[in-house]
Amino acid sequence: MKVSIFITCLGDVFYVNAGKATVELLERYGCEVDFPETQTCCGQPAYNSGYHEKTKAAAKNMITAFEHSEYVVCPSGSCAYMFREYEELLQNEPDWKVKAAALKRKTYELTQFLTEILQIENTGAEFHAKATYHTSCHMTRLLGVKEAPLKLLSNVSGLEMVDLPNRHDCCGFGGTFSVKMPEISQQMVDEKALHIEETDADVLIGADGGCLMNIGGRLNRQKKPIKVMHIAEILNSRGDN
Amino acid sequence: MPLHVGEKAFKSRVEKGLGNEFMRGAVRSAQGRLQDSRSHAAEELGDWEEWRNLGQEIRQHTMENLDFYLQQLSEKVAERGGHVYFAETADDANHYISEVIEKKKARKIAKSKSMVTEEIALNDILEEQGCNVVETDLGEYILQIDDHDPPSHIVAPALHKNKEQIRDVFKEKLGYLHTEKPEELTLFAREQLRKEFLSAEVGITGCNFAVAESGTCALVTNEGNARMVSTLPKTQITVMGMERIVPTWEELDVLVSLLTRAAVGQKLTSYVTALTGPKEESEGDGPEEFHLVVVDNGRSKILGTEFQEALHCIRCAACINVCPVYRHIGGHAYGSIYPGPIGAVLTPLLAGYEDYKELPYASSLCGACTEVCPVKIPLHEYLIDHRRNIVEKENKSNLSEKLAMQGFHKLAGSAGLFNIATKMAPFLVTPFVRDGTISKGPGPLKAWTGARELPLPQKERFRDWFKHRTKGGQHIAKRGD
Amino acid sequence: MQRGEIKNREAFLDKVAGQLGRNRRKDNVIRPKWKHQVQWKVLADLTENELVDVLEKQCEVIHTDFIRTTEKELDAKILQVLQAYGVKTALTSDDSRFSSFGLTNKYQDWKNSSDIDVFKWDIESPGQSRHLAEQADAGITFSDITLAESGTVVLFSSDGKGRSVSLLPSTYIAIIPKSSLVPRMSQAAREIHHQIESGGRISSCINFISGPSNSADIEMNLVVGVHGPIKAAYILVEDR
Ligand code: SF4
Repeated sequence: MKVSIFITCLGDVFYVNAGKATVELLERYGCEVDFPETQTCCGQPAYNSGYHEKTKAAAKNMITAFEHSEYVVCPSGSCAYMFREYEELLQNEPDWKVKAAALKRKTYELTQFLTEILQIENTGAEFHAKATYHTSCHMTRLLGVKEAPLKLLSNVSGLEMVDLPNRHDCCGFGGTFSVKMPEISQQMVDEKALHIEETDADVLIGADGGCLMNIGGRLNRQKKPIKVMHIAEILNSRGDN
Repeated sequence: MPLHVGEKAFKSRVEKGLGNEFMRGAVRSAQGRLQDSRSHAAEELGDWEEWRNLGQEIRQHTMENLDFYLQQLSEKVAERGGHVYFAETADDANHYISEVIEKKKARKIAKSKSMVTEEIALNDILEEQGCNVVETDLGEYILQIDDHDPPSHIVAPALHKNKEQIRDVFKEKLGYLHTEKPEELTLFAREQLRKEFLSAEVGITGCNFAVAESGTCALVTNEGNARMVSTLPKTQITVMGMERIVPTWEELDVLVSLLTRAAVGQKLTSYVTALTGPKEESEGDGPEEFHLVVVDNGRSKILGTEFQEALHCIRCAACINVCPVYRHIGGHAYGSIYPGPIGAVLTPLLAGYEDYKELPYASSLCGACTEVCPVKIPLHEYLIDHRRNIVEKENKSNLSEKLAMQGFHKLAGSAGLFNIATKMAPFLVTPFVRDGTISKGPGPLKAWTGARELPLPQKERFRDWFKHRTKGGQHIAKRGD
Repeated sequence: MQRGEIKNREAFLDKVAGQLGRNRRKDNVIRPKWKHQVQWKVLADLTENELVDVLEKQCEVIHTDFIRTTEKELDAKILQVLQAYGVKTALTSDDSRFSSFGLTNKYQDWKNSSDIDVFKWDIESPGQSRHLAEQADAGITFSDITLAESGTVVLFSSDGKGRSVSLLPSTYIAIIPKSSLVPRMSQAAREIHHQIESGGRISSCINFISGPSNSADIEMNLVVGVHGPIKAAYILVEDR
């Protein structure tokens, strides 16, 4: 099975370990992984800010970058979902629209790919910690991936998972929202940080770079000793932490 | 009280909201309770998604044929001896209602809760005319007594007040002498308002749903005040937004079932009162004269646009009750009697972008609203559509954002530029790195680092690692990484 | 009854049609058969007795006392309820079921034994009836249709069945013939819909009442008893 990695901008630049873990996980299950080098950003910041015309170039670039891929796997729910918006975005350009639909069909978020396509519920991972999981809004509500990450995490040996209170609340990232309405965004991430603290967990796990950057950034600022990790890193770990 | 409430500038309204600890505490706990009861009710019913699909299907058909159903409604009301007035603007509606009242020489008016009469600022007109207008919904009554404090929620208008504040208002304005126990406060209001009901000459109600096939107006309430208002006064005036209509009683059932569950988690409210015209001549109680006022006030211009589904709203407030932004800034910050996600969608449609261009941005697009809406209005997508209109049609976005997006457009559209930019990232931020983190960012990053650290761009990007790695090598995560 | 006036309609609806991008639709709009029919599945397979159980359970939720009885014991149960609530005067609607269930001829006994006055809504003097409703401690009506799911009694207003009886007194008592029970609002709505379709004239006021009035406007604390009744009791009577 051939899988192309869609790494996302944050994954490429900031969360490199998550990307590495993703590749290794996929290879372990026999996937032939490649990285189309012409990929850039999915265009979400512009799209969500209303700059739809300006999103089109990014969309077309991505469609081309992944045109020959069999599967596209992305370690971020919201970016994977962004690929699904392309079809409507390019609805007035019939050729592109068809290509966008094809991209949509073959794109998966990592945990979704593991459970739905590879049919894996246990990655054989071992990670010793008390942890809680942040459900990212776009991944759960828009992409509809709800159970997969929790299922996978529940099978990691050594990992004690604690429910995050009010886990369906947004962390306040919202892309440009966090810089456009920083006061409101801060209240939201503060509330999230508070709930995370209540769990007494040492690790916060997430599956979306944006949320992790936001929550992690706030926890760091507050000097909270809670480590923020991407789910791929946990699922790929072998217990020597 | 018109559509607009509070101070002029969005920013100062938000600051005021964020600084109001009382309000935020009250809203937080109310949201918690309302969310719980809604999801419990949906679960208990089972097939909730099917119900939502049905609700959406009904609303779609009704809106597509709105002229037909409004015509049928008006015929049926008239057949039953009721009068129907179609008001294109707020002024038209107010003028008609004020004339009816003038003709009756009425002075005492009892009102049950109605968002559309808030929207058209009916009370102001009637008070100018010398009428004593009494709001009889408990929440509205509290606000009215408190020098017309604006509502902050469409179902529970006084949600922003806690019981101590309410006690103080009653004490100061009405000489209330008891405690802040909700039971005692409520009993006091009951006693005060009973007199008003019995002496009111005209009753004014809103309308949750009108039923076209029979000319019926249905009122969905818990307190019994709407029943009072439609039982005791001799004249009744019912005011409805033109979209609040269903074809037949069978659809009334579905939408009421969705409304009561989504709004308050009840299977039905204590009262669903279905009124068809005035009382029969031989009946002993009920209004002798009945007027239905159908209000457009900007709604029709939403029809036929991408925002048409905003008119599907049944005003249940479920979207408001789950909204994290609403939780922190409160209803008044939206500057409109329609707050929360539906307010951010609807207010700019009714009143234009000029005064409300910030509202569509007051959302992290988390989609919680869209997920709960009982008639499946794509609320967060509409917020993006608004942003798009603001940017691409109205050209109202600011210069720095435009420049940033122009830059983004170039980068994301070109693999070469993107590659260079991400490669440069670690060097560009070097001047701002302290102790392995960025605590004070330049330019647009300032807003970010106001509250959060910015992680450091890695020296070796993922793409570099991928190119140079040995296949099958293992990179194992350690907590110390 | 004289036909009411309709004002400003044509221009208003022309505009609506124009916005929808078409000509006015004045007739021939057929309500589609909805793809989803989920409302008919709720409580669909329950027997009548099971519906009674659902109703009883729901009464707890809506703060309503629930009493089951037989036709024979109905009067005694009503008296018990009146006594328990400390009712001194009660007002009933003018409904032939009060006599067919053998209640009207018990009123004198109630007066003698417990000093309870029972009045009937008087079609001939509505003013006085309304006044009585204001003064009475309890209002008593029969339920016309009863919805098990939500614990709702449906009342159709008519000359003898004034709106005030179930509204103004602080206690409301509904007598529910078991035969009036249906699963939920859907069945009642369909019955009314059929009545309309067959050219019938529906009541000027149809009330769906589920327990006493209440409000949660103060900090979302539920307070039972606001403008309408403060207490409610349902008496279910086996009528078959
Ligand atoms: S938009 Fe939907 S959820 Fe919000 S008030 Fe309207 S119907 Fe309710």
